[in-house]
Amino acid sequence: MSSFGKTVFAVLATRGLQAVVVAVIVGIVSFVMMQSLPGDAAYRIAAGRYGYDMMDAAAAEAVRLELGLDQPAIVQLWSWLTMLAQFDLGISAVYGTPVADEITTQLGYSMLLAVGAVVASLLIALPLGIASGLKPNGLLDHVTLGVSIFIRAIPSFALGVLLVLIFAVQLNLLPVAGFKSFANLILPSLTLGLGLAAVSNRVIRDAVVDAMSADWRLFSRTKGLSAQRTLSRHVLRNAALPVVTYVGVQLAYLIEGVVIVETVFAWPGIGHALVHAIFGRDIAMVQGTALVLGLTYVALNLIVDLTCRCIDPRTRRA
Amino acid sequence: MTNQTEIMVDVTQTSSYFKLSPSRLLGLGLMTLLVIAAITGPALIGGDPNKQSLLHTLEGPSIAHPLGTDNLGRDMASRLLSGAQLSLSLAFLSVITAGLPGAILGVTATWFGGWPDRLLGAFADAVLALPGLLLVLMLAAISPGSWWALYVGISLTLWVEYFRYTRQRTRIVLAEPSVEASRLLGLGPWLLIRRHIIPEIGPGLLTIAAFGAATAVTAVAALGFISVGIRPPTAEWGVMMTELLPYWREAPFLILQPVACLILTVLALHLSVGGARLP
Amino acid sequence: MSYNIRVKALSVFAGDTRLMGPISFATSPGDTLIIMGETGAGKSLVAQAILGTLPCALRSEGQIKVNGRKVDTLSQVERAGMWGRELAALPQEPWRALDPLMLSFKQIFETYYFVAGRALAEARSDTKHTFETLDLKGAERRLPGTLSGGMAQRVAFAAATAGNAPILIADEPTKGLDTERYNKIVTLLAKVPASGGTLIAITHEASVTRRLGGHVIVLRDGQLVEQGQVETVLTKPSSSYTKQLLDADPQSWSQSEPHPTGKTVLTATNLTIKRNGKELISSFNLTIKAAERVALTGPSGVGKTTLLDALAGLLPPTRGTVNRGTNLPRDAVQKLYQDPPAAFPARVPLRHTLRDVARLHKTDWNYVIKQLENLGIHPSLLDRRPDAVSGGELQRISIARALTVRPRVLLADEPTSRLDPITQRDTLSMLARIAAEGNIAIVLVTHDYNIASKWADRLIKLV
Repeated sequence: MSSFGKTVFAVLATRGLQAVVVAVIVGIVSFVMMQSLPGDAAYRIAAGRYGYDMMDAAAAEAVRLELGLDQPAIVQLWSWLTMLAQFDLGISAVYGTPVADEITTQLGYSMLLAVGAVVASLLIALPLGIASGLKPNGLLDHVTLGVSIFIRAIPSFALGVLLVLIFAVQLNLLPVAGFKSFANLILPSLTLGLGLAAVSNRVIRDAVVDAMSADWRLFSRTKGLSAQRTLSRHVLRNAALPVVTYVGVQLAYLIEGVVIVETVFAWPGIGHALVHAIFGRDIAMVQGTALVLGLTYVALNLIVDLTCRCIDPRTRRA
Repeated sequence: MTNQTEIMVDVTQTSSYFKLSPSRLLGLGLMTLLVIAAITGPALIGGDPNKQSLLHTLEGPSIAHPLGTDNLGRDMASRLLSGAQLSLSLAFLSVITAGLPGAILGVTATWFGGWPDRLLGAFADAVLALPGLLLVLMLAAISPGSWWALYVGISLTLWVEYFRYTRQRTRIVLAEPSVEASRLLGLGPWLLIRRHIIPEIGPGLLTIAAFGAATAVTAVAALGFISVGIRPPTAEWGVMMTELLPYWREAPFLILQPVACLILTVLALHLSVGGARLP
Repeated sequence: MSYNIRVKALSVFAGDTRLMGPISFATSPGDTLIIMGETGAGKSLVAQAILGTLPCALRSEGQIKVNGRKVDTLSQVERAGMWGRELAALPQEPWRALDPLMLSFKQIFETYYFVAGRALAEARSDTKHTFETLDLKGAERRLPGTLSGGMAQRVAFAAATAGNAPILIADEPTKGLDTERYNKIVTLLAKVPASGGTLIAITHEASVTRRLGGHVIVLRDGQLVEQGQVETVLTKPSSSYTKQLLDADPQSWSQSEPHPTGKTVLTATNLTIKRNGKELISSFNLTIKAAERVALTGPSGVGKTTLLDALAGLLPPTRGTVNRGTNLPRDAVQKLYQDPPAAFPARVPLRHTLRDVARLHKTDWNYVIKQLENLGIHPSLLDRRPDAVSGGELQRISIARALTVRPRVLLADEPTSRLDPITQRDTLSMLARIAAEGNIAIVLVTHDYNIASKWADRLIKLV
């Protein structure tokens, strides 16, 4: 196997393990949530499986025997986890439909929001970061630093509320809740995107400053390459490396932000569904949505890992 | 609740750590005010955060109520102070619960190495498998409204940052020639910790503490906002935001108050350690 | 006589402070100019002024003419146009000068293709040919981080000169290279004037100056000390400073005198050490007596530091044993490090560091002060942190620190390779004196064969 192939395998193995850990944690927490609910567990699980309309006392009894709900907790936990491992996510107690179906729809919306947020953040952060980096300690640099610190201090949901108040309500420009058209995407993406851009623009700026003041950059010029060629052949790739690494750090913020911002804007995605499921004590939904969110986080991390290895040949030999 | 550890390692390399820039002074000033508010709570102005008065709802600032009243006639200023007390005490406790064991374990695990080091490392990686807020959200979901769920969840997430940071830095420090030289000269573990490790990790730990506290405050507010964390009628900034949101048109300044408190708290924490720097 | 570079009264200022100059010189095709001096002499500033790469905070005064044009009045863009084509620059640290993420082949290819303007296929074949002629075969698809110092230097040389600039400015071309390796780069440099180009070399080593010949300018703290033909200046220097500088070159040292030695203090028996599966040291035997001066030389990577660590007891050998002399405690064997600041805890004032050691070993503080003064260190320096003290002073403080525990063996790992030549000579003669006065054995690891043969009683060469 080539050395690149070996590192890809190593990355896949690590992230695969992380995915398993995510599933186990989500499964255990959901199980504990289930156990802590008042009332009869067998009844709830049967309802979770077949829907509240379709079940009766006999079904509950059958579930009790089948799942051995008279058994000690550890044994129950084991069967719960095995069900999860077989990708059996059950039926939503609130909607009455299979969890898997609901999630598939919601995942699309959440992905849309995530992409929108990343695009918004890049549109803001890239030009500002590069411009500030090319003229460090200039006026633009200082101004963006101040503004970035301020915006960074605003929690994402507060930012969402503020944007709603300014744009939708005061100025009546943009729609607020739900999803009727593309215009609905703007405010939530902007909320998340601004929060991301507030920090990433400074990371980009630092990366550009470091690259521009590096010895190899000067050497590239003194050996005769033009400023343009130096930028495109050397500076951008070296500067991209810390930025891409930082994107990995930002992924957590993105996932968390998706959950909160969806709730603020009633965006019909997975985060919104998770919060609603918690209210409705819809354990199957809670487990399903949390699982998908967690696994998405792992998947995104995987992509970032692989991108880093593509950009930086040094890590391939590891 | 992003994991800042890798960025922290670079940011705290500066030796100008103890210089007091204007932004840092501003941060420290704000911090002092917040700490006073947190310790005294509503007693500072002698108000009652829970006393409702349906005759005086949504009022503007007055002598009796310096910041007005909310939709149930409760004194805003008292509620904000009570919220400060709640958020800051929770943040402070979480940081201590996470920080002391986290740092100590980080140093000892690296020092002794072997399977305890690997085991703790694996545990930390497992906690990191999920984004922090998600983990806290799920723990809070087990018993919504419970202060304990928030405290445990936030402490666990912060613990990981402390542990990983001290582990990483200690590993680097122990590999340096200066430690080898000190060992050869006969210096024992206590001196090594005092002269080599603590000066290296100290500033960084302080930075993580401040940023961690800011994260904790934000997380509590976020979960309060979506009503999974602290619940009404408790005075918590996030909860207050949810309660006041429907009244934005009649009394916009009301909802801006808890928002401003949140922003000021986070700014205070960020500026007092980091000065005019990010993250 | 047509000059390609003419410099008249060149000075470099930082604000109102004169950092370097005024100096004047002129070169023609086929000439070599050496700018000699220690660190801080301002040698690099001359190169930067000619090239046009002075940092923004500095400015130059005086006239500089390159190929007939007055460059000091040109705009930055116009000066940049000369880079690679009329002026080539070989930077001090080749590792840092090469893009860490780009393959070596591409970094040389770029110059042929973009700067020299060759066609694609021609540029490729030229690059391949360069790798062969410069003894770099196999390094084409390697990244700069995996190249040895010498190889990185040659790659940088090729990348800088592929544009065929007739003038080459080389800044400290032998920095960090061991004696055997730097011959290659010096030969390469000598080819430039031999084929009609002009070479300006900046160095602190008299041996490099001697080999390259030509005209030499000696600088000290930015001021011109002496100027003239290399043969004249090196054999009959008119300034005492130049004489000091030349005397500091190990080649001109006098051989150390034989002296009595004491009983055995350290023995290595049948020592074998494996690193990464490879056997680095095989069946090595060594007996060291008190007051002996032993030198360990060899090319880089051969295992000198590994062997030293094993002798210090820091590294367990794969086979064989290391034994201290009878009744000698563990800390009778101490180590000196190549990079002085790295040997001290960075954020602790030196006073505390030394006191810790003194207190631990119940050594009287006055004894420590006496050792410091013996080494020429004023006690007031102790209030500073390691980064506020010069490398030479810090190394002497670390010697004093080692002496605090009354060692019998000092294992010195290239303790002077980062120091200027005059400081280097002073430090090594201090070490010799300490060895004699304190009856201490010293094992000196060095890549400089001259130092090893002149300074030590015994020379061990690792291959």
